[in-house]
Amino acid sequence: MVAKMFKNVLTRRSLLGSGAAVAGSAAAAAILPRKAFAQDKVVKIGFLAPLTGPVAAWGKPGLDGCLIWGEWINAAGGINIGGEAHAVEFVAYDNEYDPAKARTGATKLIREDGVKFIMMLGGDTWPGAQPVADRTGMLFSTLLPSDLSPDTTTLIAPCEVHPIYNVTGVEWLADNMPELKTAVMCAQDDALGLPSVATYLAAFEAAGIEMQDDPLLFDPATTDFAPVVTRLISGNPDIVCLDTCYADYVHPICEQLFQQGYGGQVISCTADFYQQIVAKTSEEFMEGFVFQFPDFDDPALNDESINFQMPNEFYAAYASRYGADQWGAVSWEYASIMDLWKAGAEKAGSAEPDAVLAAMKEGGTGLHAFGEADWWGKDLFGIDNALVGNWPIVVIEGGKATIKEFRSIPEWYAKHGELLKKHMSAYGQMWDQRT
Amino acid sequence: MAKFAALFGFGAILLALPHALSFSQQEILVFLTINVLLVASYRLLTLTGEWSLGHVVIMGVGAYASALLSKRLGIYVPVAMLLGAVTAAMIALALSFPLFRMKGFYFLIGSFAAGEIIRLLWKRFRDPFGGPKGLKKIDPMPDFDIGIYAFDFFEPVSYYYFALAVVGVSLWVMWRIERSPVGLTFHAVHWQDRLAEASGVNVRAYRTLAFVLASGFAGLSGALLAHYIGTINPNSFDVEQMVFVLTWTIVGGTATFYGPILGCVVLTVLNEIVLREAGFEQMRPLIYGLILILSVLFMPKGLESLVRGAFSGRNARKNKAGETKAME
Repeated sequence: MVAKMFKNVLTRRSLLGSGAAVAGSAAAAAILPRKAFAQDKVVKIGFLAPLTGPVAAWGKPGLDGCLIWGEWINAAGGINIGGEAHAVEFVAYDNEYDPAKARTGATKLIREDGVKFIMMLGGDTWPGAQPVADRTGMLFSTLLPSDLSPDTTTLIAPCEVHPIYNVTGVEWLADNMPELKTAVMCAQDDALGLPSVATYLAAFEAAGIEMQDDPLLFDPATTDFAPVVTRLISGNPDIVCLDTCYADYVHPICEQLFQQGYGGQVISCTADFYQQIVAKTSEEFMEGFVFQFPDFDDPALNDESINFQMPNEFYAAYASRYGADQWGAVSWEYASIMDLWKAGAEKAGSAEPDAVLAAMKEGGTGLHAFGEADWWGKDLFGIDNALVGNWPIVVIEGGKATIKEFRSIPEWYAKHGELLKKHMSAYGQMWDQRT
Repeated sequence: MAKFAALFGFGAILLALPHALSFSQQEILVFLTINVLLVASYRLLTLTGEWSLGHVVIMGVGAYASALLSKRLGIYVPVAMLLGAVTAAMIALALSFPLFRMKGFYFLIGSFAAGEIIRLLWKRFRDPFGGPKGLKKIDPMPDFDIGIYAFDFFEPVSYYYFALAVVGVSLWVMWRIERSPVGLTFHAVHWQDRLAEASGVNVRAYRTLAFVLASGFAGLSGALLAHYIGTINPNSFDVEQMVFVLTWTIVGGTATFYGPILGCVVLTVLNEIVLREAGFEQMRPLIYGLILILSVLFMPKGLESLVRGAFSGRNARKNKAGETKAME
């Protein structure tokens, strides 16, 4: 960790990265419409996520991505709000994935820094910030729509509809590898793991893949995964599903699968820093590994239906500044949320939270990173505050993540929604079951 | 008289303190006040020589009990907080039967195991504990008006005053316990347990008493926390939090009543305010760890040794001046 910190402070790579960022900014300035803005017009955006600790992998890379996004937007003239150009500035607060610190951070960002919008990872930390959101009316975003409920009216999930998109990976697997008939699953027993378990169970059932055993739930404090993996593969399953395990679990589980000689299919929600897993195992072992988060240098993202601005250039700037092996699931997600917020603020002519929210949700559709999508969720979350559309299925080929296809989440849900509700209910994950 | 004036002055500073702070610092002040009670209760336990790794889980027992009593049974929040403290004390009493068959290192490991069992129960039983997600929308402390001040407990200043009153009374009770014959017996059990036993002291009963009392106060601190942030989950009371309590205690020192409190205050201000404000947000674990290592290396008797050194130096100078005057 210490090495990583120093690595991120000043290295040859970071110096080269600065050069790439400047080049990226220049490219953005050339491509995006340019408007002059007075130096004093600044709109502040809060970033309230874990930047240190075990969940930092889903916060820190997102902040890094936002900084690139902000530089590009500012170089291109800023955000046009009510006819005036505003520079964007990110104010970060490390909540360490602790609800008490999330409350403190939300208070600071709103009452001291004057931010107009706050991006969070969500999960355990949202209930800490929720009273502050209720009291101030501040617009928040989460990556985890299981935070949504009918009374979270100022909370939106505009990018990642975790864990519902996981159904697309299983569906793709079933369509392309019909010989795979049995699966096992393991997950950490926490707020992130359980809704994902319910989703994968629904997806496997919908795909006609039999679960060999109940999902193996391990304690988040687990450090030795040898017995977990031994038990997992004891029935020689066709598929091992790693659910939404944190990066700190995915890596050692993959190592154990490799060391214990597993040769079947592996599917996971994420494979953050997968290059490190390839290095620890082998290219052959990781070949065909299915997950849900692409590298943004993928040519498939240049399709005209993709709404994320200049994804390949964004990835290049990120990789050169922080290292390609530091690219993770959330590196682009918070930046993608900013694209939606920017469009909403420009449309509303105001940065005020209620005006931006109304503009974002106008017409019931929005421009999600992977194409046009619907504001959805009443069935599962009790409120239509999740933006749902297509999601990519990513496969590791030759040691590199490759998008195989985009699939529609709403189409899957239209066919198998009842299955998902059944499993979500069984795990107590429906909004009206939350205590 | 001078002591009374100093105490009055210190009280006035504590009352005025939140008004000199920013909003986020006021929030930190609330959590700091609650943690002062937690760490002071931990010292009460260590008086008998036993160090536990389950103290934060016991804090969680108070938090869960108070939250459930107010949420499920509609019990008035301040009463629920007291019942939460009593529940934590009762759980500690039940745990004391297996745990005090052990001593020292074995007690330490046993307390860790007992704490983990409790945490796993919270995770396993979604009803009533909410499973891994824990409990949300815990009833807040009800607002009230006393004429000169309207308490709105969403606001950190109001909650700080409430917590300060609760923690102040609790610290006074703990102080009195330590100064009483019971407290002196705790010390005897720690330093001369064989001799104490030979003198007719029921060593195990006194260890149990210290464990139960400390757990009651820890449970109260948990209840204060739960009704302020409105949410708790098993991870809020995991071993990582326990490491913080141990760190505050070790860095502060355990020889005096104020040692662990000093450790808690200094390290919290350093970690949550100084390092964040200085722009070292993401480097905090590194710098915090470095400071810990340095303080253990160069201040093995804790921060309290600095205070004691300063006071003994002042007293020595005073005595010397007195002697000189007498000689003249």
